[in-house]
Parts: sequence; structure tokens; C-alpha cells
Amino acid sequence: MTRPVTVETITERMKEFGVVEQVRKNRIRVKTVPDRIHDAITTSQAMLGFDRLITISTVDNGETLELLYHLIGSHRIIISLSIELPRDKPVTPTVSDLLLPAGIYERQIHDLFGITFEGNPNMKKIILNEDWPGDEFPLRKDWTPGPDVFYGGIRVEKREGS
Amino acid sequence: MAVPDTGMSRRLVNWARAKSPWITVYNSGACNACDIEIIACLMPRFDVERFGILVKGSPRHADILIVTGHVTLKQASRLRRVWEQMPEPKYVIAMGACGAAGGVFHGLYHMMACVDCVVPVDVYVAGCPPRPDEIINAVVTCLNLMAEDAAHGGKEWRRKKPATGADTEGKSCTVIP
Amino acid sequence: MPEVVVSIGPQHPALKEPVNFKVIADGEKIVRLELDLSYNHRGIEKAAEQRNFIRVLPLLERVCGICSHSHATVFSKGIEEIMGLSIPPRAQYIRTIIAELERMHSHLLWLGVAAHVIGFNTLFMWTWRDREAVQDTLEEMSGNRVHYGMNEIGGVRRDLTPAQVEAALARLPVLEERIKKYVEMVNSEETMLIRFRDVGKMSREEALKYGAVGPTARASGVDYDVRRDDPYLAYAEVPWNVITDTHGDVYGRTRVRVGELWESTQIVRYCLENLPAGPIRVDAPKTAPKGEILSRYEAPRGELAHFIRTNGTDKVERVDIRTPTLANWTSVAVCLVNQNIADIPVIVAAIDPCLSCTSRLTVVNRVDKVGR
Repeated sequence: MTRPVTVETITERMKEFGVVEQVRKNRIRVKTVPDRIHDAITTSQAMLGFDRLITISTVDNGETLELLYHLIGSHRIIISLSIELPRDKPVTPTVSDLLLPAGIYERQIHDLFGITFEGNPNMKKIILNEDWPGDEFPLRKDWTPGPDVFYGGIRVEKREGS
Repeated sequence: MAVPDTGMSRRLVNWARAKSPWITVYNSGACNACDIEIIACLMPRFDVERFGILVKGSPRHADILIVTGHVTLKQASRLRRVWEQMPEPKYVIAMGACGAAGGVFHGLYHMMACVDCVVPVDVYVAGCPPRPDEIINAVVTCLNLMAEDAAHGGKEWRRKKPATGADTEGKSCTVIP
Repeated sequence: MPEVVVSIGPQHPALKEPVNFKVIADGEKIVRLELDLSYNHRGIEKAAEQRNFIRVLPLLERVCGICSHSHATVFSKGIEEIMGLSIPPRAQYIRTIIAELERMHSHLLWLGVAAHVIGFNTLFMWTWRDREAVQDTLEEMSGNRVHYGMNEIGGVRRDLTPAQVEAALARLPVLEERIKKYVEMVNSEETMLIRFRDVGKMSREEALKYGAVGPTARASGVDYDVRRDDPYLAYAEVPWNVITDTHGDVYGRTRVRVGELWESTQIVRYCLENLPAGPIRVDAPKTAPKGEILSRYEAPRGELAHFIRTNGTDKVERVDIRTPTLANWTSVAVCLVNQNIADIPVIVAAIDPCLSCTSRLTVVNRVDKVGR
């Protein structure tokens, strides 16, 4: 790509993926759909020079779970690609094949929000302890610890004088 | 267990233990601040080695276990295992506000209720984090406690009896709702 | 030769923080590595949603004891931007001074730990002795050796008196002299050269591919520093240089950090000498309007990012913390493949891991060098 990447060229290029808005100087937000996130990242990588993933943020919006992929390139413009997933079936394709560091963030989100990333080969528990119940996701807004659930650690029944 | 100081060899062991306690540090989910202050104790400015205090990597060599921070659920069983590996008599120092009652982390979902639910604590140090001189003071306090315990023939003398009628049965310390 | 699994940690003598390595080794060479780092997971992000802006800052400071100012600053910077507040210049300078002093103490700490893991305890003692000068300055300014508590939404909580500025300036020449000595040592001391050179090599392409940040990336020639690329606090006004290196090994990372130590002393000196007069805080509203921001900050270990969303109340809707160590782990797992078992502590220490910050993940790295 010979033309320098500016906010305008990015807006022009990313329009096909959804609503593009410039949030502030050097920050662009694109609202897209889960099916197109793979293409959106491929495009921004190949055409617009976004080569680095800062992080994947997750927000619980109540009815939906929102994922934001923040990418940056050598032009120092940040693009945030946002997708929303239904709460009862939060499944989205993985992007760890495009951006290697994403694998870590995806596993972390899987643990804390219960979002499944299809195609991530290593979707194991990483952040919570071994005994944590598999169907409870602590960072969801409606989660509260159950009174009779064992969340790991040590069960202390009675302390002997040891 | 510390045996009442009858024989010459027992007296020698108790004397040596009080003069050169070996310490092991276990980070049970702290924010690092306590750990760097403990390392600062070893440095030329505070230099605990001049008192004979040595920081050891292995709990099997240690007399005193310093637990830094609150205990996360994942660390609880590990902390218990480390403590079980220490030879008797063993002493535990809980560092900082977190070690005492949770500090800012009190009530978070991935935390045990207290260090005391996992291992019995002998000395608490206040501060967030405690200054190195306070840490040294805690170790010295612990040494005095050791001497007293040795004179009484064990830790039993200072263990409080539960108040009559108090219901301590079946209390779980895992998660504060 | 059959593969052997060597399990190290979480309690171990070299690094003071809990981390578990399962090293799958073929003889002395590492084939694959499994890291388990989540021993410190506490659930801070959930707790941050339940506390107001005044109570959340002390909590975020305690994400990590070494870069506590970073977490508090990046958060208050984000909230202030959402609120549309502009912070008085004096507060910006004071925040910069604390930030750079923190970088100095963190890098000195790192240099000591790196020396310790290669068995060079003299340097360990030296750097930690010099670090005490930085700690004294921080204690004088903030009242605490660690966890400074200087930030609040809208400015800083404590002003610097002329006596404090003078005392801090008086300590700087000694530090500068010592740091010059360290620069010289890193380049000439045989013990360090042997153990650091060609260990944990990572090319520029790999650093970009695996998303390394901070000194780890800069040592591989990636010219990436948030302080310059997205200036915040007083960095746009202060003259300073981004340090990069082309070696890409532990030696390069040491050179970058020692270079940054020098730059930090110069930034602190400039800020102290040119401290603007005026108020140190503005009154911030109790609530923040609806908004979201990705706030970035160059912590001692690399780029720190807080994604903050507010909902019009005095609490955040969500704060998502991405720490520099988390970004660096993928690259460390790559560095370790085909290295010697004895070099694990050096390579791991070279990214300056901060596990309290991270506490998140396991990286499983196959022979085909794919980070998961």
C-alpha cells in the first residue's frame, strides 16, 4: 500500500463491515457482526497495516456480551472492532489464527465470561482454579456466588490445634 | 514439637534456633509489594543476615514461614502443602493488611476468607505493605514467642479455648458471599 | 532420548512470585513449556465495578505492588478524559515524576533480580542499595515506600514542597553516577556477557508477531513506546529518547533497561527543575457521563491498557485490564524453545514478569512454535 494510512482511508475501507465512527483523534470504532470479524481483521491487517493486537475487551451489556478487538499499527491509529453476541449462545470464531496473542485473551475471556471461541485449539481453563464450577462465569453481571457451591480452596470444617 | 529444655542437646537446639531462624517466603496471592519489601530486608541497608536470619528457598529448611498477602482459592492447597513440609516447631507470620483480614481484597470472589483458615498464624504485621524495619520487628517478635513456647513446652499454653456455647462446628471459610 | 517433564514451582527460590513451569525437556534442551500463572487471580475487575471512583483507585493500585502508580494513573487518565477534565500542569508534572521514579525503582529491581538468577549477587546487592535512594525519594514525596497513593480523579493528592524537590535533586547525581557505572558493567562485565548474550533470542518479526511490548519488544528493534506515540502526562514537553536495541536477546533487554534508567533520571531532573506553579487538582464531578475509552500507558514493563466503560453513575460499568506481562508471555514461551534448561530463569526474568498483574493464563507452546 503506497498511500499513507489516515483516519479517512480507514473509514473508507472499513465501511463495508458496519458502522464506522471516529471516537476521538486516532481512535476509530467499527461496529460489525460476528460472522464478519474474521474478514474485518484480515482486511485491517493486510490493507491498513494494523499488525498488533492490543487487547480483546469484553463487556456484559445485559442482553448481549460485547467483544472489542483493539488493533494498532505503525501509523499509531487504534481501531476497535466491536461485535455483540447473544447471551444464551455466546459463540464466535477464533481470531488466534490471524493474531497469535489473541489465543491467550480468548482463553481468559472463555473462563470469565463463558464465550466460546470456535477453532481455538486450546480452550481449557486457565485463570480460575481447578475446582471452580465450569458453568459459572464470575465477570457476568448477574453472577453472584451461590451459598452452597464449592468454589475451590480448602474446606475448613473444624480446626484442630495443629 | 519443642520439648521442655531438659537435656543439654535440647537447650543447644533451642538456642541455635533462636539465634539463627531460617525463613521461607510464600506469595499466596499478594500484589508483590510485600515481597519486594522482604527482599529489601536482605539488602545492604537493612541487612537481616547480620542477625543470623536467612531466607531460604525450601520450606523443609525453614523455621518461619512468611505468608505475603491474602490467600487465593488456587493457592490455598499449595500454601497448606508448603506449611506441612516445614519441620516442627513451625511459625507463621502473615504480612500486611491482606494477611490479617484481606485488606482491599476482602470479600472478592477468588479469595479465601483469611490466612488463618488455611494455616495457623502466630504473628501479624500491620501495614500496606509493612516497612522492612517492621518486618524485622515481626521476626524478632516471633523469636521471643519461640522462646516462650519452648519454655512452656509447646504452643498449647497460648491457644484460647472457644467460649462456651460458641458454635464453631461446620463453619466453612471458603467464600464470603 | 525420551522426553522428561520437569515441574518447577509455584514455590521456588529463584523468582519470588508464584509461577509453575512444566518444562518438557529432551536432555538439556527445552522442547515445550507449559506455564501456569494464575495463582494470583483475585477478581479485581469484578470488585472494581462495585466501588466508586474514590474507592476504586486504592484497589487498582494493588493490582501490582511494583507498578502501582501505573495502574492508578492509567485509570484516572481514562476517567478524566471521559469526564472532559483537563488536569493542571503541576499535577501532570508530579504524576510524571512519580511515574519515572517508579520506572527507575522497577528497572533497578529487575537488574538486581537478573543478576541474582545468574549468580552475580554483588550486582544484586548494589542495585538494591541504589534503589533505596529512589525509595527514599518516593517516600518523602508520597509518604509510603510502595503504593504511593498520589492519584485522585482530577489531579494528585499531595503537593511537592521546595524542600522535597531539593532533596530529590540532591539524590540524583549519585544515582546518575551509579547508573553510568551499570551501563559500563553491562557492556564489559564478563559474567553478564557470557550468561546474557545469545540467550532467549527473538527477532524483530517474531516480536511483532507474538505481540511483545515494552523493553522486550524494544530490545528486538521494535520502535514502540506509548510515551512518545500517544503522549500523555508531561511527556510531550520533556526532552527524552526512546531506547531501542537490535540484539534481541537478554543482553539487548538489559541494555534497553539500563538505557531507560538513564533517560528516567533525566526526565525526573527536567520535571523537578521545571515544575510549573499552580494548583495540583481540579474538582472532579462525582459521576462520569456515559462513555468508553481505551487508556494506554507505558508501564515499566511495557504497554499497559485499561479499557474503561462508564454508565453515568459514580462506578465504572467495566474495567478491563491488559497488563504488559500478559502480552509478553507468548513471546517468552517462544524464546524458551530449544534453549538450555539452566537458562529458564534468565529468559523468564528478562521480560520482568509481574505475575500479580497477570495471573491469567497458561501458554502451551508446541515445537512448531505456535503460541496458544
